[in-house]
Amino acid sequence: MLGGIVRGRRVSLRPMRDDDLPGVSRWSADLRVRRAHSAGYWAEPATLATWKERLAEASKDHRSVLWAIESDGALVGSAAVGMPDPAFSDIVDVRHLTIDPERWRRGLGWDAALTVHRWIFDIAHVRIAATRVPADAAGALRIAERLGYTTFARGRRAYWHDGAHVDETRLRMELATWDERFGESERDYEALGPEAEA
Amino acid sequence: MIGPRIAGERGVSLVPATLEHAKLRAGWMAAPEATRFWGLRLVDARPERAEERFKKDATDPSSVSWTIAYEGEPVGFTGIFDIDWVARDGESGLFIGRTDLYGRGIATEAVRLRTAYAWAELRLVRVHNWIGLRNRGSRRANEKAGYRQVGRFDRSWFRSGQWYDEWLGEVLLPEALDRSPAGS
Repeated sequence: MLGGIVRGRRVSLRPMRDDDLPGVSRWSADLRVRRAHSAGYWAEPATLATWKERLAEASKDHRSVLWAIESDGALVGSAAVGMPDPAFSDIVDVRHLTIDPERWRRGLGWDAALTVHRWIFDIAHVRIAATRVPADAAGALRIAERLGYTTFARGRRAYWHDGAHVDETRLRMELATWDERFGESERDYEALGPEAEA
Repeated sequence: MIGPRIAGERGVSLVPATLEHAKLRAGWMAAPEATRFWGLRLVDARPERAEERFKKDATDPSSVSWTIAYEGEPVGFTGIFDIDWVARDGESGLFIGRTDLYGRGIATEAVRLRTAYAWAELRLVRVHNWIGLRNRGSRRANEKAGYRQVGRFDRSWFRSGQWYDEWLGEVLLPEALDRSPAGS
């Protein structure tokens, strides 16, 4: 499925469109982006026709949610989460969260991550968010720690970058942590007042 | 991809999965005895679904699937999935559908054969596996083949009034078998 609009402070999440695909295609072929992700990126580099097919498939896939990330009217990234598998209990898998490398170190990643997690915990009200990142992805790990993720596993030699194996860090964040850190400040809607008497 | 025939010990072998084997899955996965640590006991028993699943497994370039045979009879399935051919890492899984055969070391032998194949033929350097922490039989079978715990996911699912934790394990290519130029 395509995720709807979720507004952050500096970025907005919105449904991805065909005219976003040249940007997506460019990032998929950017080694800076590929190194920062557990499985490269959303998918391997491909022609625009293939990216259109992938977007159509993602729109139909009820087990995942895909967003474009926009800032000041321009496409600046994309994000995707896997919806809870019914066999497990309310666990969302954060699959990728990518910001255009030309716009790194401007705080967009943090705002995008906070906005995605507002959808996960404030709108979907899921029990746990989980993700995995290369152990050398310092930026991603900093954002995860700031959100409230904790490490539950460290795998060895799980990725291959720059001619060497890299370990993996697997992380999880609880709804209770979100509520404690952001529950008051990061609500999507203001609380409704008491129901008016008929 | 479908894995090749690998003869093991004590009557256990890994054999290429067939459509007939795939049709056995729905019955196995409907049984409470086999699914305490596996899914929600929901099955799509249509023959065409078994065929779709079989074709998908057979043509998926990032997985290798086998049927586990005991004394020549199909008793379960195993494989390595989501193989990252660059990192040379994959995720393994195993299911024994014939619960009347539990306790005979079938899983242990199947994991041993699968792991040896991962090193000797696929040239993987790592295989990892999620297992219900309380599924001692499956964990032991993996540990005997060299898997070691690298993490634990507490309260992963809730069933029959209690939370279940998950064990995440990995096994790495033994140094003695590492024949890469860099030996990395």
